[in-house]
Amino acid sequence: MACGSTSLWAGEATWFCCGSSWGPCSSTGTGACGTCQSSAHQAAWPNASAACFSITRPDLCGESIPRRGCGAVMTVKHQCSGSSVCVTVSDCGPRTKSFCGEATCCNGTCRTNRVIDLTPAAFSAIGNLSSGMLPVYIYE
Amino acid sequence: MSSPRSTSASGGRGLDRRRFLTTAALGGATIVGASALGGLDADAAFAAPTPSLDPAVPAAAFAEGRITAINGSVLEVAASNGGRHLIQLTNATSIWKLEPTTAEAVKVGDGLYARGVPMPDGTMAADALWVNIVNLAVTVRGIAKDRLHFAHGAHGLVGRVVPGTTAASYLAGALTSDLSQVRIGQSVQVLGAWRPEDGSVDIARMTVGH
Amino acid sequence: MLTLLSASAVPVLGALLAVGGAAKLFGRDTARQAAGTALVRIVGAGRAGLALRAVGAAELLVGAGLTASPASAAPGMAAAALGAGFLGYLGWARVAAPESSCGCSARERGPVTWRSFARAALVLAGGAGAAARGGTWWDEVAAHPAAAAATAAATALALAALSTDLDHLWLLPLRRARLRLLGHPLAPTGTGRTAGRVPVAASVELLERSLAWQSMSSVVRSALLEHWDEGGWRILRFAGLHQDAEGTRPVSVLFALDAAASADTAPLPSVRVTVLDDCTDEQLPVTPPDVPVRTALTVLPLAT
Repeated sequence: MACGSTSLWAGEATWFCCGSSWGPCSSTGTGACGTCQSSAHQAAWPNASAACFSITRPDLCGESIPRRGCGAVMTVKHQCSGSSVCVTVSDCGPRTKSFCGEATCCNGTCRTNRVIDLTPAAFSAIGNLSSGMLPVYIYE
Repeated sequence: MSSPRSTSASGGRGLDRRRFLTTAALGGATIVGASALGGLDADAAFAAPTPSLDPAVPAAAFAEGRITAINGSVLEVAASNGGRHLIQLTNATSIWKLEPTTAEAVKVGDGLYARGVPMPDGTMAADALWVNIVNLAVTVRGIAKDRLHFAHGAHGLVGRVVPGTTAASYLAGALTSDLSQVRIGQSVQVLGAWRPEDGSVDIARMTVGH
Repeated sequence: MLTLLSASAVPVLGALLAVGGAAKLFGRDTARQAAGTALVRIVGAGRAGLALRAVGAAELLVGAGLTASPASAAPGMAAAALGAGFLGYLGWARVAAPESSCGCSARERGPVTWRSFARAALVLAGGAGAAARGGTWWDEVAAHPAAAAATAAATALALAALSTDLDHLWLLPLRRARLRLLGHPLAPTGTGRTAGRVPVAASVELLERSLAWQSMSSVVRSALLEHWDEGGWRILRFAGLHQDAEGTRPVSVLFALDAAASADTAPLPSVRVTVLDDCTDEQLPVTPPDVPVRTALTVLPLAT
C-alpha cells in the first residue's frame, strides 16, 4: 500500500521494541496486532482499537486522536529535518496519558503529547535512537 | 581544557587533532534560530508536498540483532528473526553504548541496531550504531543510591545510575543531571544500555511523566 | 512451639491455597495468564489454560482438605507434594524459560523470583508439618488461643510479604515513607565534578532542535561521533556526506554551542557550524538553512 500525504496528526514520536528481539525487549511479544517486529517499518498508534484507547487515553491530554486500526499506513515526517518514513500500524501505544503536556520543539515550534511510537527501524530512518523522541507530522 | 568524560582519540596526535578541530569549529558560520527564517510550522509543513513512499522499500538500510563475532572492523550479527548481517564499521560510524564511544567498547553478545548503506558485497556500511540501546516505558518501584527499581510490564527491571551520565527530564524540561525529582509510582521512559551479563540497564536518560 | 506453629499455620495455608486455587480455576483471565507461563512449553499453547485451571483445582482441593479434615495425614502429604511440585516447576521454568511469568497467583504477572520459590517452600513445609502432626489444628489452637492467633497472623504476614500482588498495599508506601524520612537517595550533593554541569545529551537535544541542525540535516549521516568542551564551548562532531559539482565526499560536521546552554535556558540557541573535508581538512561552505522563508513565525507556547 502506498503512503499518503493528507495531514492526519502532529505530536511527539518515541520508539519501542517488539517481536523477536534481545534484552528486555525479548519479553514484549508481537504487539496488539500480532505482527509487530522491531526490524520492520511499523508503529504503535494510541487509538488502534477501543481497548487500546482505554489504556493510552490521549483524550485526557486533549488529543482526540482518530481510530486507525492494525494495518493502517502512515507517513511520519521529522519536523526539524523533513525526513520521512512510511509505517504500518502494528501495535497499541504510546501511553499518551502518562506524559500529558510534554513538548518537543524544533527551532521554537513545539509539538505536544506523545502520539506515535515507532519501531527502531522506522525511528532510526528519520532520527537517532539515542535521542529518544522527535517532533513529527503524520500523514495518511 | 577538554572534559575527562568526552570521547577521544587517545594520545598526543588525538589532542593535536582535537585542537585543530576546535579552532575550525569556533570559526564556523553562526546559525541562530531567527524569526526571519521560520521553522516548519504545522500549516506550512502540511501544505508542503510529501513524496509518496512505499513501506516495503526502506530508504536507509537497517540491521538488528546480537553480535556473534567481531572480525576486525566487521561485526557478524545474528538477526532476532533469523538471518545474518555483516556490519562494516568505518571512521565515520557513530557508535553509542550508553554514550558516544569507540569500536573497542563493542563486545560479542551485545545487541544492536544499525543504520547504514548496503554495499555491493552484501555487507552494510554503518552510519550509526546503537549498542544494547533500549527505550522502555516503566513505572518506578524503588529508589536507591546507585540504582532504581522499575516495573516493566510483568517484569522487574534494575536501572543503574551512572554518575556523570544519567540525566533526567521532568515533564518536557531540559535534560538535567538532577535525579532528585524522581518519585515512586511515576511513569518513566528509560533510555539506556542493557547489560547482557546481568540484565540490568545503565540509564542514559529518564523522561519522567505523571 | 513447633506444633503450635504448624497448627496455626495450617488454616492460613489452607485458606491461601483454596482462594488462590479457586481464582485460577474459575478466573476469566486464566487462559490469558497461562499463555505467558512456562506451562506452554510443557503442554502446548492450546492446553496451557486448561492445565493452569487443573492446578487451580488441585490447590483448591488440597486447601479445603487442609482446613477441613486435618486429622488425616493425606491433605498434609498432598500439600507437601504440591509444594514440591511447585518448586520443581519453578526451578525448571527458571532454567528453561526465564522470560516466562510465574503463574503463581491469579493477579500476578511477574516472572519467577526468589519470592515464588519461598512461597512454594512454605507450602511444602506447611504440608509436611501438617502431615507429621497428629490431632486437629483446632484442638491445638483452642489450647493456646493467644499464641495461635499471633503465629497465624505472622504466617499471614509472611505469605503477604512473599506475594507481589500486595506490594502496592504495603511495600511501595513503606518505600515512600523511607524516602520522606531519610531524604531522596539521588539528591544532588553539589560537590561532585559533574554537579551542575549540563549533560551532553542535553546539548545534543538542544542541537537537534535548532535551526542549525535543520539546515545541516541533508549533510549529516551519523549520530554523535565525539564531543569535548573547550573554553566554555561544547563541540559536537558528526560524520556526513557533502555533495557538490565535484561529487560526493566524506566530511566532518562540527557544531559548537554554549556548554552551559540547554533547552530551558536557550530555546533558540546560537550554533556555529563548520564542515571539514575528511581527506584534505579543507573547510567547505555551509549552505544557508534550507527552510521556507516566512514573514511571520508562529511560535507556539512551550508547555510547562
